[in-house]
Amino acid sequence: MGQPATMAARAQRNDAPWLTLKMREAMEAWLFLSPTLAGFLIFFVAPLVAVLGYSLTEWNLLSQQATFVGLANYDDALMRNADFWHVARNSAVFALGLVPLNMALALLLALALSGRFRGVVVFRTIFFAPVVTSAAAWAIVWKFQLQGEAGFINQVLAGIGITGPNWLREPNWAMAAVIVTRVIKMVGLNMILYIAALQAIPRDYDAAARLEGASGLQIFRMITWPLLGPTTLVIMVITTIGSFKVFDHIYLMTGGGPENGTLVLAFYIYQQGFEFFNVGYASALAMIMFVIVMALTVVQLALRRKDT
Amino acid sequence: MDHAKKTRPLTISRLLPIARSETAGHGARRAGAPVLAALALMLAGSPAWASELRFTIWTGNEAHLKMLNGFAEGFKAVRPGVTVKFETIPPADYTQKLTFQIAGGNPPDIGWLMEDAAPTFANARVLEDLAPVLNAKKDYDFADFSRPALGLWTNGARVHGVPFSTSPFVMFYNKDMFDKAGLEDPLALAAKGQWNMTTFQDVAKKLTVANGRFGFEFKDGQGYESRIMHGLMPPIRAYGGDAWANKECGLDKPNAIAAVQQLHDMVFKDKSIVPPGERGDFFSGNAGMTINQISRASIMANAAFKWGIAPLPTGPSGESPVIGQAGIVVFAAGKQKQLAAEFVAFVTNKQNVAVAAQFFPPARASVLASNDFVNSNKLIPPEQMRVVADAIVKGKVLPSHDKSPQILAAMKPRVDALWRAEANVERSLRAVCAAIQPLL
Repeated sequence: MGQPATMAARAQRNDAPWLTLKMREAMEAWLFLSPTLAGFLIFFVAPLVAVLGYSLTEWNLLSQQATFVGLANYDDALMRNADFWHVARNSAVFALGLVPLNMALALLLALALSGRFRGVVVFRTIFFAPVVTSAAAWAIVWKFQLQGEAGFINQVLAGIGITGPNWLREPNWAMAAVIVTRVIKMVGLNMILYIAALQAIPRDYDAAARLEGASGLQIFRMITWPLLGPTTLVIMVITTIGSFKVFDHIYLMTGGGPENGTLVLAFYIYQQGFEFFNVGYASALAMIMFVIVMALTVVQLALRRKDT
Repeated sequence: MDHAKKTRPLTISRLLPIARSETAGHGARRAGAPVLAALALMLAGSPAWASELRFTIWTGNEAHLKMLNGFAEGFKAVRPGVTVKFETIPPADYTQKLTFQIAGGNPPDIGWLMEDAAPTFANARVLEDLAPVLNAKKDYDFADFSRPALGLWTNGARVHGVPFSTSPFVMFYNKDMFDKAGLEDPLALAAKGQWNMTTFQDVAKKLTVANGRFGFEFKDGQGYESRIMHGLMPPIRAYGGDAWANKECGLDKPNAIAAVQQLHDMVFKDKSIVPPGERGDFFSGNAGMTINQISRASIMANAAFKWGIAPLPTGPSGESPVIGQAGIVVFAAGKQKQLAAEFVAFVTNKQNVAVAAQFFPPARASVLASNDFVNSNKLIPPEQMRVVADAIVKGKVLPSHDKSPQILAAMKPRVDALWRAEANVERSLRAVCAAIQPLL
């Protein structure tokens, strides 16, 4: 109650008689919001508007020649250029492979490591460490491990009589390899989110269910999983968005190859904009990616609302 | 002449009135007068104009930088007060960052440019014509530059760059591995006229068997990825082919197919070339031979094995050396174009090209013909440096195009398909040509 009273007292001082209490409160709110709002406008809205503008031009970065071409870049990407659909398919495969695998593994690890037992912190640290490891170091190490005959993985497989593929040189295996290595790198983050959510579930529910004779699986299915719903939604949204934005991992491990088998949307945008200097076309691709990710997020949120 | 970035120095005539007005003022301000007067006297000997040129390069090698800074010091004798700041950008990001600097309105005054980027930059009209400045220098002798070496850097009378490194590809070999296999090394074979594509395949196979290490590695181990052209062009040229000519793809022609088929057999049948997805590294002693340029010799100073360089193996079309090239350019959007062009003329005059030749093989005929050049590299004996000089004269620069980035990107997935054990080389090369022909 102290805060409104202070505001009322200030209003009563009547430094500015034309300023009503409501107006003063609104002004204060805007002042507090303004740093964040300024950052949002300058670093998000302005670039987004600029990219939208660029996407309507044919602009060569090197020669600095820009021509307004309307929606031609969108038409080119969506209707004429087969590469775009190949790349979009790769992005979808990457997301469909990464998101379920990441979430399932994160949940399993969280269930195993949410309790309190000796050494739990060490295990959590081990699984979280890759998240804070440099992406470049991670990719280089895995590139060595995934070499053809000389790679560690294939040598282990050879030890048990299996001839491993040349992981990063065969398109399907390369996609599988980048998905799995990405999952191992990032799963720790989702694991921590799930552990936090699991620890927030009151233990009474579990105890009551056990008194009623519920099995562990039933407790998980009927109590734990539904209560993890909001966290699962957040994890699904951020992991999906992250999977569509993946760039560094692909750039460092496969460079989009072999045979464009791992050429995903974010890397394709980079290639068009920063290797071919087609800023207009790259901007159109970026807008398309923005719409795809936004649509996926809205669909996920809508499905969640429907469930609840 | 444009002098937008030049700063007018304080001169005695400008400072003394200021000093006089200070002394005539309040006592508290009088202390400043002697300082200003002293400053005026100190600056009396300074040049009329003081400028700094910014020069982008991709080397961070101390010896290279020492040499370049030496040139900058020497230029002060010609243009007092002019300093040059060398800015190193890693080679992998070089062209991209340079483009961003130009697009961002902050171009360097001068820069190195790789051969594959030269046509793109020239066509975008971002390079200044150096001809007026070079032709105005009496003792510059532009005609001394070998004509083939200028191909990428001139267009009619226009000169949009001066080659500073015309570096042929040569065969580096691990002498210890040859000795262990009981084989004559490539230099000895070349002296007997027996160093050709057939003996190359043969010795690579024998080296692999005798040493348990790969007989050959593509340039920097990148022949399947970022250095596709460096891997394919030496054998294709030896067989008389080319990547493209007169806007027509040549990779699906019989001589190119034969050359690539031989490489493919060496990778997958003989298993004598480091295969895709594996690492060899000639420079740490893990491969018997590699094709590279003499600038790489600087990392061999402490090599744990005996090594040498030899010409590229000849093919059905005889000798066909391949050259990688880099030039110095002045950017048209720069603010000190005249001064920058003068520095380019200074760095590429006969004396300085002779100094630079220890690292960067020259395109000046007079320097190439001199004994100074063959004796210039402390790590490479004169008889091996003659291989370099000979290759510069006979060689042909790597293929280049104003759409090089797009062409290489279009090639890459089809070349990936080529480097599979079960690949049909001819069909794969036809697919490469189908992909790049529209861009040529």
